[in-house]
Order: sequence, then structure tokens, then C-alpha cells
Amino acid sequence: MASESIAIGRLDAPARQIGEILHDWVTTVDHKKLGLLYIMYAILFLVIGGIEATIMRIQLIVPHNNFVSPQVFNEMFTMHGTTMIFFVAMPIVFGFGNYFVPLMIGARDMAFPRLNAFSFWISAFGGLLLYFSFVGGNGLYGAGNAPDVGWFAYAPLTAKAFSLGHSTDFWTLGLLVSGIGSIGTATNLIATVLCLRCPGMTLGKMPLFAWMNLVMAGLVLLAVSPLTAAQVMLSLDRYLGAHFFDTQAGGSAVLWMHFFWIFGHPEVYVLVIPAFAFVSEIIPVFSRKPIFGYPIMVGATVSIGFLSFLVWAHHMFTVGMNSYANSFFAISTMLVGVPTGIKIFNWIATMWGGKIRFGTPMLFCIAFLLQFLIAGLTGIMLSVAPFDWQLGNSYFVVAHFHYVIVGGILFGLFGAFYYWFPKMSGRMYNDALSKWHFWLFLIGFHLTFDFMHIPGLLGMPRRIYTYEPGRGWDVWNLIVTIGVFFQGAGILIFVGNLLWSSLKGKFAGNDPWDAWTLEWSTASPPPEYNFATLPTVNSRRPLWDIKHPEDPD
Amino acid sequence: MSSMDAQPVVEKSGLDTVKLPAPTAWPIAMAFGVTLLSAGLVTSETVSILGGILAVAGAVGWFLDVLPHEKHVSVPVEEEAGVVAVSRRKVERLPVAPELARALLPLETYPISAGVKGGLAGAVAMAVLACLYGIVNQGSIWYPINLLAATIYGQSMALTPATLTGFHLDSFLLACLLHLITSLLVGLMYGAMLPMFPRRPILLGGVIAPVMWSGLIHNILGFINPLLDQKIDWLWFVASQFAFGIVAGLVVVKQARVRTRQVLPFAMRAGFETSGGAGGTRSKENP
Ligand SMILES: [Cu+2]
Repeated sequence: MASESIAIGRLDAPARQIGEILHDWVTTVDHKKLGLLYIMYAILFLVIGGIEATIMRIQLIVPHNNFVSPQVFNEMFTMHGTTMIFFVAMPIVFGFGNYFVPLMIGARDMAFPRLNAFSFWISAFGGLLLYFSFVGGNGLYGAGNAPDVGWFAYAPLTAKAFSLGHSTDFWTLGLLVSGIGSIGTATNLIATVLCLRCPGMTLGKMPLFAWMNLVMAGLVLLAVSPLTAAQVMLSLDRYLGAHFFDTQAGGSAVLWMHFFWIFGHPEVYVLVIPAFAFVSEIIPVFSRKPIFGYPIMVGATVSIGFLSFLVWAHHMFTVGMNSYANSFFAISTMLVGVPTGIKIFNWIATMWGGKIRFGTPMLFCIAFLLQFLIAGLTGIMLSVAPFDWQLGNSYFVVAHFHYVIVGGILFGLFGAFYYWFPKMSGRMYNDALSKWHFWLFLIGFHLTFDFMHIPGLLGMPRRIYTYEPGRGWDVWNLIVTIGVFFQGAGILIFVGNLLWSSLKGKFAGNDPWDAWTLEWSTASPPPEYNFATLPTVNSRRPLWDIKHPEDPD
Repeated sequence: MSSMDAQPVVEKSGLDTVKLPAPTAWPIAMAFGVTLLSAGLVTSETVSILGGILAVAGAVGWFLDVLPHEKHVSVPVEEEAGVVAVSRRKVERLPVAPELARALLPLETYPISAGVKGGLAGAVAMAVLACLYGIVNQGSIWYPINLLAATIYGQSMALTPATLTGFHLDSFLLACLLHLITSLLVGLMYGAMLPMFPRRPILLGGVIAPVMWSGLIHNILGFINPLLDQKIDWLWFVASQFAFGIVAGLVVVKQARVRTRQVLPFAMRAGFETSGGAGGTRSKENP
């Protein structure tokens, strides 16, 4: 980011030099540049996905609104969900993993640098292919149709008979292609963490960030594979007349649901475990205390990863499974609350008695704790099968998972952005603007997603493009939409702050937070080779040991 | 390490350059090829053919980057930018255990035997009160025992009001077993949890915990023991829960505490040997 921005700032830079810089970025195999590419690509799609959400909320601001047509509304919720999960959240967590896992374990690069480049570019091209459907896709309503079958694309809606043209195929192929990149990056992260740790860094001394990225990468390998298999089966159905999901020819529509959700549920953990990783690094540093219960945190992360593969059918309670399946998935879902609760207690115990500094990264982490707790509680409510029969596919569910993804994952991500921005750019962000971002986004988040629970409880189904007045939904939908504009303002300030500060911010130095992990021992931004001499560590907090030789860990 | 794909090698001579994998355009070419290959399915075959050619060309170019020898660039090492330093040299400690370098909480805990003793003592106290209720209210010591057995014994549902007050060996044995196991488990939980809430053990163990599980039982009793649910006298029931909690709590806190072992790594305290587990010791092993 920095080298690029300096070049842009120099007005007399010859055109050839800009071309060279572009060439550098396209051919790079450096994990830091690829990490930044992942992150910048994801921020671009974050803005696009946010615009899609805004269009939906404007349509729903009053009953009988005609801001967009029902067809466009279907495309918006399909593309919003697909974009945010596959082309925002995943690339961002891969970007942070890519950038910081090698730095934190004292390595010079990822284990497979060229595979790393390949994985990024194929994921990026997958996103472009999906969005090409807006121009090139032809669907039920003629040319220029984006996919409109919902982000989980249930059968038989995706069958050739109900989804004409190619818009659904764009969805299938976009995810298939970007899934190749996800598998590549996950393999790369696992190999890096297991094989490239610096001398002295045993698994038990590895930063929690690296541990959690390891678990996340394992989940990606296991979760993306069934999704890819399902996409291939769907393509066979659509192109070659196979009948995997065609109930009239002996196939099964429920089979698709099982395939999709055995990917879909672990996917939530693929995204939230990196958020746990950010919080587990930021809270200790900003509380001036080592993390409470390190081994328990590792154990809880591994058991969350394990449990996440036993709960997928809680997304299918309303399908009508037998009572044994309902009980099993209800109980296994409630079990997830145990390791998650342990983590929340450990983070609070880390803060307890500490000298807490309320910097912006810490503010986002504290909000994360509270919001993730509430998200977990509504999750446990929905895990009770009869409760889910009432509220499945209502706005209560939409509010619940946005509490997880926005209130949990996105708040964790914002914390990570502010915490590591000085390392990535070499400059400090503007503190006042970052506080504006925090408060605007916090208010907007709560306006939107707290109040979104209520129309859900009152029976408003998700994915409807408009509604009758006088059902008690009107005022709640108005408040929900107003919150969106607060969030949008927060995001604009955030992006503006990052752009402005990477050019004009004051220099950060190597270690602005007085932190303890290895990335803060090298320059900001780190040189291409990361460390001139590979470090040797003796404890979980190598920089603490250097700073306090009389009192090592 | 040299077997890994492109793990950079440190040049031992003076460290003025570091070898890093050379930049290459072949991965992006291959990625674009694979994308076009599948994009052909929604456009036309020529796109797929073009993509296939590009993907193969990308793969071949990529292989030639690493075979027979991996391509490197030597990056000059710049002056190391500053050393790691801290402005605040003073370390403050939580006033928990000043004598320990790093304290594991709780500092002291009870041995497992304390939990067992507490559970057994609570069991006796609860049984005495329950039997007293049977004698005073129903004129039979067997009445509450028969009710309790109904939790796990379907035959109990067949008991009539007349036979409920009589002695039934099967119900008696099952009730004793159930009472003993539950009491032991709760006693063990007390042994584990009371050290974590050391201020008012009797308030927590004797009052708060019984109130909470009485509330839980009040809600679910219809499912787990319908017979007891019909016949229960909540005043006596809650009183016997308090009796259990207070006695078990008192017995547990009267036991001598032992120090939590502070320095051993978790893996060793948990009783298994690993290398590179959750170590806290200062060893110099290399991975
Ligand atoms: Cu789920």
C-alpha cells in the first residue's frame, strides 16, 4: 500500500514507472503484497455488497414501495449474500492471514508463494465472473440478469425448468472458480504454520492468531469441498441432464440442502474464528496483560472447529426431519455455546485488572464481545427446534446472522484494520476520524439489527420485496433502513481515513502499541524479506522478553 | 526446510542479501485461463478453448519457474530499522500472588476428595429432610423414595395412592442409586467451583445454586418425572435442596486446600506427555 501510494503522490513520476509498479503487483509472490491485494479487493466488494443492501433497505423503507422491481430485488439479495460471504469476508480473512501469519511465526514468506499468487488471482477472477452476469447473464427476464435464486440456491429453484438461461450458472461457476483459490490458500496456511515456524516457536508458543488461522484453514479444506461437489452436481444437472436434485426423476432437493449447509455452517466459523484471532491479539495488548487461559483458548478453538461439522441441519429444522435428527442437531448446536462461552469468559478475564487503553482497536473489540454474546444467545434460541419452526425464514433469523456477521465478524475486522494499519502502511490512522467511524457504525448497527428482530417476531418473512401496511411492521422497517445510512456514513469515513492516512498520516514506527508478537519487531511496513535474521523465541511473548529481560515470560 | 517450495534461504555470508522467490506472471496467467475455461460454459466454446490453452501455458511456465531449479532474486538487506524498546520499564502486577512470576487462577483449590465428602454429607442431609417430610405429611418414610424412583423407573407410574406409601425394594434401590450419583456429581462440581468464587461460598453453594436448579427443575419436572410433578410439595422440596446445598458447601469449604500447581505446563498437569504441547517451560528445543 505504501510503496504504491508514494508513487501516486509523486506528480513527476514518469508513466513508465507507474507501469512498472503495476507489473510489480501483478507478478508478485510476496505474502504481504498478496495480503494487501486480498484486502483491497475485499473492500471494493464490501462497498458493492453494501450498495446492494442499501437498495434492498430503500425498497423496504415503506410498504408498497416501487424503488426496484421484484426481479431486481431477488437479484439484490442473492448477490448481496453471495458477495459478502465469498468475495468480502473470505478474502479479508485470507488477506490478514496471508499478511500476518508468516510475520507472527518469524518466517520470510508463505510455504508456497506462487500458489499463493495463483489462489488470490483465481478467487478474484471468480468474483469478476459472477459480476459479469449483470452484463452477460441471460435469465428468465431476458439479457443482463444476475443470479436470483438466493445465496443458498435451493433446489428445485435452480433446475433448468425454473431458472432459464445462464444466470444460475454464473453463480455456480463463480463460486466453483473462487473455491479453487480458497482451497489453495487454506493448504498454504496449514503448510506455513506447521512447517515454517522460527526456532523455539513450538506449537504451544505460537500466537493465538496463528493457531486460529490454522483451525480456520482446516475448516476451509473440509467445508469448501462439499460445496464444490454440490456445484459440480448442479452443473451436471443443468448441462448434461443429470437428476441429482430433480425430485421428479428420483433425485432429492433435500440432498442439496445437506450439501450446502454442511458447507454453510462451518463457513460461519471460517469467518468468525479469524475474528476471534484478532480479538485474542488486540485485547491482551490493550489491557497490558497476557491472554488468560492460552491452552484453554486453543482447546476451545479446536473444539469449535470440530463441533461446527455436527450442526449443519439446524438450518433445516423447517424442512421436516424426524425427531431424532431434530434433537441431535438442537443439542449439538447448544453444545457450541460451551467453548464459545469459555472464550468470552477468557477475554473478559484478560481485561480484568488490566490497564485498559481505549484505543479504537479496543473499542471495536469490546463492542464485538457484547454483540457476539447477543448473537450467540439468539442463536441458542433458534437452536430450539420448535422455536425455529415459528421463526425460521423470518427477519428474526436475518437479524440473528447479521448480528454474527456484522456485530461479530465485521467489528472484529475493523478492530484488526486499526490495530495493524500502522504495520501495513507505516503510518498512523487519524484517531478522531476512527472514533467517528466507531460511533456512527455502532449506532447504525444497533438501529438496523436490534430493531430487525421485531418484524421477524411479528411474522415478517425474509426475501419479500414489499409488504402490506398496517401489520405492525412499518415503523420497524423505517428504523432499520435509517440505521443503514449511519453505517454507510461510518464506512465512508473508514475508507477515507485509510486512504488519507496511508498518504498523509504521521509515521508510526515499528511498534506503536508496545505489543509482544514478532510482527512488531520489524520495520513498518516490513521489508520484503520480513526479518534480516530469523528470530529465535523462548516464550509466547517474544517482544516482552526482549523489553523486560529481568522478568521474562 | 529446503524441501519446501521456495522457502527462502538465508545467505550465511554477512547477510547483505536475502534470497526470495522471483516474481512471476505465470500464476495469474493460469488463474485467468482456468476462469476463462469455466466462463466458456456461460458464453461460448471459443472462450473455453482459449482458457484451456492459457491454463496449460500458465502451468508449463510455472513448472519452468521451479524446475529444475527454483528462480530466486537477491534482495539487499537494508539497515535494521531500530531495535525493540519500551518506554515504560516498570511492570505492575495484579495483587493476587506477588510471589509468583505468572499466577494461574485459582491459586488454591480443593482435592477431589473434598467434593466427594461434601456430596455424601449433602446427600445425607437431603435424605433426612425428605424422609421427615414423608413421615410428617404422609405417614410413610417410603413415600418420597417411591416418588424419586419414578425419574428413571417406568413401573413407578403404576403405583396407586395406596401402594405409594409402601416399601418396594426395586424402587428403593433405584432411588438410592440415583440420589447417590446425583449428589456425588454436584459435590464434585462444588469442589471445583467454590475456589473460583471464594468470597461467599455458603451464599453461592447453599442458596444461589439450589435456587437456580430448583427453578430449572420446576420447569422441566413434568418431562423428567411426571409422578413427582403431580405429587410434589414445593416448600419441602426446596427446603431439602437448601439442606443439601448448605451442608455440602460447608463440608467442602472445611477441607484443607491444596495449591494449584503453577509452573507445570498444561499438558503435564493434565497428565499426558507431549512435545511442543501447551508448554510454559523455558526449554531451548528446536522445531
Ligand atoms: Cu449454522
